[in-house]
Amino acid sequence: MTVEPAVFSLINYDADEIATIAGELAGLLGIGNPITIDVDETTPLSKVSASVEARSSDARITVSTESGALEDTQRFTNLGPAQARVSIGRMLLRARDRIRPDFTDAPPDLDLSLRQNAAWDAYCAGRLARIGVRVNEQRFRYNFRNRFGFADDVDAMFDRLWSADDLGWSAIDDPT
Amino acid sequence: MRQFFPVQDLARDERFVQTNMAARLADKRSAVIGSTRADGAHRKSAKSRAANNRLTPDRHDASDAARSLMHGIMVGEIQALEGAGRTAHDFPAGDGTGDTIPFELKLDMARQAWDEARHVEISAKLSDWMGTEIGQYAENTVLFEAACSDDPVLRLAGVNRALEGLAIDVFTQMKEFGQLAGDPFLEFCEDWMLADEVTHVKMGSDWLRKVTEKDPDRRAKALEFQQVVDKLFSFGGTRGDTEESPIGLARRFRELAGFTDDEVDDIAEMDAVALAERKAKVREMQEAAQV
Repeated sequence: MTVEPAVFSLINYDADEIATIAGELAGLLGIGNPITIDVDETTPLSKVSASVEARSSDARITVSTESGALEDTQRFTNLGPAQARVSIGRMLLRARDRIRPDFTDAPPDLDLSLRQNAAWDAYCAGRLARIGVRVNEQRFRYNFRNRFGFADDVDAMFDRLWSADDLGWSAIDDPT
Repeated sequence: MRQFFPVQDLARDERFVQTNMAARLADKRSAVIGSTRADGAHRKSAKSRAANNRLTPDRHDASDAARSLMHGIMVGEIQALEGAGRTAHDFPAGDGTGDTIPFELKLDMARQAWDEARHVEISAKLSDWMGTEIGQYAENTVLFEAACSDDPVLRLAGVNRALEGLAIDVFTQMKEFGQLAGDPFLEFCEDWMLADEVTHVKMGSDWLRKVTEKDPDRRAKALEFQQVVDKLFSFGGTRGDTEESPIGLARRFRELAGFTDDEVDDIAEMDAVALAERKAKVREMQEAAQV
């Protein structure tokens, strides 16, 4: 497990604490790959993305995150373990998905559309909640509604993604 | 009942954590486009936002940014309620000279407190609808601080004109956000609260003129104070006319609330200065940290 940078100079984050959080999540999710968490501390924004070097259990997973995604929203510039768990956990699940053969067609994270992002986030956040990570379901439902519309059939789509455990990319790309 | 309540004594339960402007502006990071290093290097995450910062649904972080702003609105409403309530109570009724305020002004402040209480309830429900827990974000107490002046006229300038003026800008932005995203509750609720805010600003504009009618020095001092508060409420250019600012200036609604075109232009100029200062400060802090 590697965290970059090893020492933060703009914010009060501790690389070891981030590594511990990511390590615990990887254990819960059954991920044995080497992992790099790359934090951009120059921005308080919260974009997160994940990539995997190759589709194998020993390929390196890289989680790239802007510092806001790991931040304690009550104490700015400080690490928020709860926020970090939700952000890193989602990205580790994405990386784990990417190793599956039925995710070959998934575009790189930074090329995902807003809808693809929202659908994949719903699928990941639901699974995280079921392994015991504290996740606010309504937060992800609201984001999903913003991308797909405020309607009952959209809510039904969200519910399907949230409760699923074994989807391929096509089900995320077109959740209808 | 106690008068002149200091900000540190505001009653909050354990869910709330408070912060202030000094702490916010000490943050060495920046979300503002254009605050890249002096050597022109771009941040690693330059892809994370489109060409502007305006809070619209097409931003990748739109939902979370809207949730954060909604929480800011909710705590702002709590402080506005406290501010209006204090002004109704802190000063004796009189002809408006000295530390007195006309009884009708007290009635307007009481009405405003009632409006703000309703806004708190609406904002709390909207926060819940958007997936935010009460107290999830730090509460910036700058709004109430503007309501702590010993001079009621300065409170009118700081709270009703500057603070409620900012509320007009924020509600307009959020209403448009709801409209574009197709969120019926957000659009509807923001529209109704916006109508109240326009009324509050108008009350401030009218009372400020009336109470200082025969005291031009006091009026000048109040308008000067309003400028200081307006710049503070720009939050380092978070509000402004250009798309670099997440929140725009709602010119039409400000006009309805009694702002002149010149006054709005002055605020826009001040916002631009605040944004430039914030960018320079962030650059300086990041260079000092050698990032």
